[in-house]
Amino acid sequence: MIRTVLITLALVFGSALPAAGQDVVPIDELTYAGASYDTLEVTVEGELVGDFGDRRDGTVWTQLNDDSYADNPLRESGTHDEGNAGIGVRIAGNLNVELDHPGGYRWRGPIVRASGIWHFHDSDRGGESYLEVTAIEILEPARTLADDPSPFAWVVGGVLVLAAFALYLRINRVSNKQ
Amino acid sequence: MLLRPEPHDFRIIGVQLGRIANVVAVAGLFPLSWAVVAREWAPASGFLVMVGVFALAGMASRFITLNEEHLEWSHGMVVVALTWLLVPAVGAIPLAMSGHYGQPFDAYFDAMSGLSTTGLALIQDVDHVAPSINFWRHLLHFLGGQGIIIAALSLFSASGVTTLYYGEARDERILPNVRSTARFIWKVAAYHLVIGVAALSAVAFFQLGFRPWRALFHGLMIFFAGFDTGGFTPQSTSLGYYHSAVFEAVAGILMVAGAMSFGLHYALWRGPRRAIFKNLETRTILATVTFTLVLTMFGLAATGIYSSVTGLGRQGFFQVLSAHTGTGFATVPPNELALWGGLAFGGMGIAMALGGMASSTAGGVKSLRVGLTVRTILGQVRQVLLPERAVQSTTYYQNGLRRFTPALGQAVMSVSLLFVALFLLGTGVAIGYGYGLQEALFESVSAGASVGLSVGVTDPTMPLLLKLTYTLQMWLGRLEFVAVFSLLGFLVSWIRGK
Repeated sequence: MIRTVLITLALVFGSALPAAGQDVVPIDELTYAGASYDTLEVTVEGELVGDFGDRRDGTVWTQLNDDSYADNPLRESGTHDEGNAGIGVRIAGNLNVELDHPGGYRWRGPIVRASGIWHFHDSDRGGESYLEVTAIEILEPARTLADDPSPFAWVVGGVLVLAAFALYLRINRVSNKQ
Repeated sequence: MLLRPEPHDFRIIGVQLGRIANVVAVAGLFPLSWAVVAREWAPASGFLVMVGVFALAGMASRFITLNEEHLEWSHGMVVVALTWLLVPAVGAIPLAMSGHYGQPFDAYFDAMSGLSTTGLALIQDVDHVAPSINFWRHLLHFLGGQGIIIAALSLFSASGVTTLYYGEARDERILPNVRSTARFIWKVAAYHLVIGVAALSAVAFFQLGFRPWRALFHGLMIFFAGFDTGGFTPQSTSLGYYHSAVFEAVAGILMVAGAMSFGLHYALWRGPRRAIFKNLETRTILATVTFTLVLTMFGLAATGIYSSVTGLGRQGFFQVLSAHTGTGFATVPPNELALWGGLAFGGMGIAMALGGMASSTAGGVKSLRVGLTVRTILGQVRQVLLPERAVQSTTYYQNGLRRFTPALGQAVMSVSLLFVALFLLGTGVAIGYGYGLQEALFESVSAGASVGLSVGVTDPTMPLLLKLTYTLQMWLGRLEFVAVFSLLGFLVSWIRGK
């Protein structure tokens, strides 16, 4: 219930975010020409994947991908056309955004629009590059991905293992007789 | 005259391959169990097929009858070369079935990359890969780094198995017999496994704020890839994903431990520790790490990529350490690494090519060979400069005083030159496809020296011939040529022999 309310609030207030009107910068652009965006406010859109690391300073670190798999996961209608494209994002705790499941094997993570300051080779963090998020809007909540095993693969695997086991028994019987 | 191999030779090779298949079948039960417990049913079916193929091959080999089982040098080398070709082929089954590869060969490429502890990857959308598949990818690093043959040797003993040990690019026997040496190597790995996973998981849990299960998962994956100098990671942004200097430091310690020879591990455990710094290999690696680090740092400072000393120090040091140990972890994206031109590129390239210590999990030319190559060259220069009757020292220190013979110098130079040729092969093919010299050379050295750092050439869309070339480089580089050449010789004898 609380999650639903928070997502709704994020969706309502998200539309009023000052950064929402800005052009969305592709992740590839940020990594190729990161220096030209250094300390500027940028807006990115994509899927949050991996982990939500709750640090002691109250911030949450995660990864934001804007590759094609965010919209079309491979196990659904996605095609093999590119690698992942992601950046690290640091979300301040006071933004109060409810993030349920990061993207992974079982989950397509939440699709968000995040605005904030792009730090390129931040000297305070030993040369790391990341987005310091100041506003975040959940465009699509996380959803589950299906785990569809192939019955044919199970049958083939089972037959192979049984055949190996039968051979093992046969060898043992022969060696016991000898 | 070439002697055609007899059926008996094939039987001996078949028996040994079968034993190794049984060992890998048992290893495959770990990711299978993981997938079943985690209810990852699709990956589980792939693991079942893989275990079935390995087990069936292993059991079938037990029907081969042998009058005697003496393994000759050529048999051992052929077994090793075939093992490192066939295990990735079967090990690629669950990867190919995962749906994360555009072509079946891409899965084989990754399996070879995993087993050879290279770390170049063609997997797509790794951020949505099943944990059990990730576990298998990283376990391949562990099996390859420690040595599949070493695993088999720990369990089986047969007459002449020493040849298998040396075939897998192990240069020194630490204990009196190969079986006890193999067990010592696994003991070292087991201690590091416990301490390494605990340390990485603790950092992931307490500092990074990951959930307990995820902290343990990341700890285990990064341990396998770090200690075995592999380079795969469970997330697409490599070690940059963690945004933590502490995590990088712990991983760095494991990388160094992995690049140390098991002889050095033995000396650290049992002593005498003082002698370690007298070793030619230790002195060489300390010198080359310092040299490549200084070179890279100056290069980075000149390009002005990093505006702060802390940024330059942390990023430059970690990347050089990753290159020199042959790990391949990166904290900067490939397209940014591609911008490290000039001296920084030179420093990174040399670090990758030189590699870690002999009889370690690292690849590359290896420090002992580098030291001996330098010594050979200096000896020849001295010979020219000194009076004709002058006598030069013919010893060097490596776990004791050893004789430096012309034959040793020649052998060392030959392998070093073969590595150079291997690096040029991949560079030439990539240039032929239109890649720039710098990126072609970087990626080729990375593949041939089992490093895994990439400037973006290794990609699922790259030409098939280039994929084949890098696969060949990973195979040859990991086995350091001899076993592969023996296999070729065996095949030629089979076809043309009498």
